[in-house]
Amino acid sequence: MAIKLVGAQIYDPVHQIDGKKMDIGIDQEQICNADALAPDCESIDVSDCIIMAGAIDLHTHIGGGKVNIARTMMIEDHQAHLHHGDHQCRSGSGHAVPSTFTAGYRYAEMGYTAGFEPAVLPVNARHAHMEMADTPMIDKGGYVLLGNDDFLLQMMRDGASQSAINDYVAWVLNASQCIGIKVVNAGGVHAFKFNQRRLDVDEVSTASGVTPRQIVNVLSRAVYELGVTHPLHVHASNLGVPGNFETTIATMGAAEGVPIHLTHIQFHSYGTEGDMKFSSAACEIAEAINKNKNVTADVGQIMFGQTVTTSGDTMMQYYGHEHASPKKWTVMDIECEMGCGVVPFRYRDKSFVNALQWSIGLEIFLQVNDPWRVFLTTDHPNGAPFTSYPHLIKLLMNRSFRNDHLSNLHPEAQRMSNLSSMDREYSLYEIAIMTRAAPSKILGLADQGHLAAGATANITVYRKQDDIEKMFAHPAYVFKNGKMIVKDGKIIETVKGVTHVVKPDYDKSIEKSLRTYFDKFQTISLDNFKISNDEMEECIGSRVVEHPCKKT
Amino acid sequence: MQFKHITCPQCGLLCDDLDVSVDDQDVTLDDNAHSVCQQFFVDAKFTDKSTLQPKINGKPCTLDEAVTYAAKLHATAQQSIISGLIADVQACRSAFALAEKTHSVIDHANGQSMRASTAIMQRYGEVRTTLAEARNRADCIVLFGAEILEKFPKLRERILQPAETLSGNTERKLIILDVVENADLAADKEIDFFHLALPNLETAIQQLQYLASPRASTKTEIDPSIRAIYQQISTSNYIVLTWTASLFAKNTAEQTLQNLTFFIKESMKTQRCVGLPLGGSRGEITANQVSTWQTGFPLPVAFTSGAPEHNPVIYNAETMLANSEVDLLTWVSTYSSDDTPKQYATANIVIGHPNMQFNQTVDVFIPVGIPGIDQRGLACRTDAVATLPLHSIRKNDLPSADHVLNLIYQAL
Repeated sequence: MAIKLVGAQIYDPVHQIDGKKMDIGIDQEQICNADALAPDCESIDVSDCIIMAGAIDLHTHIGGGKVNIARTMMIEDHQAHLHHGDHQCRSGSGHAVPSTFTAGYRYAEMGYTAGFEPAVLPVNARHAHMEMADTPMIDKGGYVLLGNDDFLLQMMRDGASQSAINDYVAWVLNASQCIGIKVVNAGGVHAFKFNQRRLDVDEVSTASGVTPRQIVNVLSRAVYELGVTHPLHVHASNLGVPGNFETTIATMGAAEGVPIHLTHIQFHSYGTEGDMKFSSAACEIAEAINKNKNVTADVGQIMFGQTVTTSGDTMMQYYGHEHASPKKWTVMDIECEMGCGVVPFRYRDKSFVNALQWSIGLEIFLQVNDPWRVFLTTDHPNGAPFTSYPHLIKLLMNRSFRNDHLSNLHPEAQRMSNLSSMDREYSLYEIAIMTRAAPSKILGLADQGHLAAGATANITVYRKQDDIEKMFAHPAYVFKNGKMIVKDGKIIETVKGVTHVVKPDYDKSIEKSLRTYFDKFQTISLDNFKISNDEMEECIGSRVVEHPCKKT
Repeated sequence: MQFKHITCPQCGLLCDDLDVSVDDQDVTLDDNAHSVCQQFFVDAKFTDKSTLQPKINGKPCTLDEAVTYAAKLHATAQQSIISGLIADVQACRSAFALAEKTHSVIDHANGQSMRASTAIMQRYGEVRTTLAEARNRADCIVLFGAEILEKFPKLRERILQPAETLSGNTERKLIILDVVENADLAADKEIDFFHLALPNLETAIQQLQYLASPRASTKTEIDPSIRAIYQQISTSNYIVLTWTASLFAKNTAEQTLQNLTFFIKESMKTQRCVGLPLGGSRGEITANQVSTWQTGFPLPVAFTSGAPEHNPVIYNAETMLANSEVDLLTWVSTYSSDDTPKQYATANIVIGHPNMQFNQTVDVFIPVGIPGIDQRGLACRTDAVATLPLHSIRKNDLPSADHVLNLIYQAL
């Protein structure tokens, strides 16, 4: 089917198109040259609209065991948010951590066409993929967790070569059908199993004998040397601890110049100034990002209200459990690989700490100069549900709106923040960079995030209006692989989406030592641990799309 | 033909270290496995009594006819329930789609036994571990009830006392406590078996929890064995408490699990202590996981209003069937021929194991392939972390439960 979208303003930063009026053609699943379409093809007048590529969320907890634990614990939230099904859509529930179908619909309704689960445990990969396969409308992908697993830590302790570590990392990526590698509190989650309650970046873990810096170093190098496009995705040590910005800057240094992505960096940008010994270090963090071109970050903005934090970081989730609201929490050690912690949270604008966290996130957004290296996330659902993105975009694009909000926060937090002095307002072009062009680039999705002929026709059409929040919340049209799936903010057709993966080459002999490890210590056989493309499609329910690796 | 690394869904451990031989339709577990483990494979053998063709009111028919009839029953039912759910992920997914389309209630056959654990997770959250973590990390494991070893036959060999562990810990204490005498365990030098002079396991757990609580007093009368166990726990590094909720009295199970949770969370203040609840031997974990991600709620779920509703009292399958609150039962049960409906509705559809025998005629019986033998499938393990592939190792024409449920869905 061919469609011509006529007369909209186009924002396509990949091709430096900044609001130029152009027609966009859709031929089957791809974008094509609008002029090449037959004159009698379907034509939609979108002259009162702007067009961007479908948005991509590079960090959103939408699938896996921890998400299901969170859903179970958030019973009140689910009962308060019931979603009826209809002839198109399946029913569901939940706001903070919605059921899978609901999550897919809400993303599509906002013009998102892909979301990436950042915490896939190798042993839980099947489960995570099953949940994501049941998350319709958008494409998915996962970052598989390493850096607290006994196998890697043992390799490091034994002085394994970088190339052997690379082989292991590549094997895990292949076996788990993921697109990237993430490390969470490197070595800290492992140390917590030995009752160690804190581990700083240069501290030798008594449990593993290595430091977080060493782990981040070998993993970032492995990802780089394997040619995986997405840099090592790092949840740094000391999440939430006042003064942790120094750890965060040290963690950037651990990569020694190779690409590294610091995730939900707002939670890692805290100083210790002031009477409350809690202050913003957004300036120091933004400066470090600006200076180190190998560093990218997503923000993990918090929003006020009820949510639930789900994380692999058992050490720091346990540390934070006393702030649980409602008062319940779960911590789990998992399979000599990782762990997870689930703690419900209510961020309050009258809380000094929460108000300052809100400011810190925005200060980072506004002080990082290059929108290609800072990404719009709330670390869904940890900072806020992803449905708050349109509100966040408005905060970034409208200074007076931002300052109005700031003026209602805890007065001491206002005093400690220099947000009100920041004049910067994001442009539509910059929003298109941080929500489309940059995520597709950093994930290696060459056919997405832009609007040139040949790209996959994932397209969002927003009707121009004064209220940017409303505009981004309810697109006029959303196209997924060329199909119109949303019209006037409502789902009109449901689609499945695919799973994006990378499969770097590696020396297969690594399987020899892995087989011994599995046979001796694990409770699943190595052969059943690995997920094939065929199993992904036939049993798990999602087709795999492989993206190339560029070996260095 | 020989198959290696076959997964066995006979219990919630989902061991996948089995070697299996298949000779045409006969499937044999090769090693000298425990009789419970053998059961799944023995049960799969077809005999003269096996049903390999669908039936309507006991009379053989085609799959099309059976599906059409089942759809007709759904179309005319006032309130239907889908239960059993002793099945793989794919069948559970399709069962939920059908439940939603038909505004049914959906619950697992063993739903009632899952309620206490769900309620504790909803109210307090938990501290847990998984099989491999317990196997490698624990220096002290406490089992509440010797019967656990029978219910999970390979638990001891695979988790409690494996040949090797990552920590190289040979000093592991394995404590089993029970209120029933067990001469074998008492004589076993590798186990510290405590035969408690207490009325039940629940009291033992209550006393243990009391000892860990801030209000504990040395003057309170506590069973000396419980004090000794508490002492052992207090001086260990990674303590795993293992139980299966089915051994606890139903009416106090929630209180007992609360005591265990409070004990673990209190211990966590100074040391590492975790729970390893065991269950899922009839696919409960699988069904509950699918329910939670697809609807946002654990079982049971009702779609009567068009949106999922979770109410463990009102929508309990056993009670609804006993009180004749539903007029149509769709029973999905694929692992064991024994797992037939215990209660029936006015009209009944069974999508089940080909060797099932019923004590009454069901309106529609559609025999389906057994996941792990005839069909590929996915199943969630007791710890709800690992999902194991179930393999197709025998060739025949039986449809999958997933396929049949989809056909009924499409026929509506």
